Amino acid sequence: MWTYEKKLQYPVNIKNPNPQMAQIICSQIGGSDSELAAALRYLNQRYSMPTDKIKGLLTDIGTEELAHL
Amino acid sequence: MNKQVEMMRKIQRYDFALYDLMLYLDTHPRCQKALQLYDQYRKKRKNAVEAYVKEFGSIVALQSSTDKKWSWGEGSYPWEREAN
Repeated sequence: MWTYEKKLQYPVNIKNPNPQMAQIICSQIGGSDSELAAALRYLNQRYSMPTDKIKGLLTDIGTEELAHL
Repeated sequence: MNKQVEMMRKIQRYDFALYDLMLYLDTHPRCQKALQLYDQYRKKRKNAVEAYVKEFGSIVALQSSTDKKWSWGEGSYPWEREAN
């Protein structure tokens, strides 16, 4: 269902290494309120949506969340 | 900013616009203005990607050359420092 692009959604430019910041970013990627968790929530809830429009929208939003990884 | 990064930024800008337009069109499928914009940015994105791939290699595996050698695994990944 998904393909991978060698392209970031938003440019990354780390100037100084910062372990504390890195830890926060890691929890943003995989923690309980993370991008990944959001993606999975959208992509799960899409199955119980009543209309095609909303099913489509949640599939696209879930995919967008995956792109934040 | 080197040429590769500059060309990539262009694609990133088009993709940002296209993704937002897509989400809007999901709930407003008959909005003529959004449809027009989508078409316009999609064309621009296509040209930008073609130019990028020609010079710096494929963005998705399907674009990779099958002429003698597979090149998809070559080059730096976008989150690595060299690529930014």
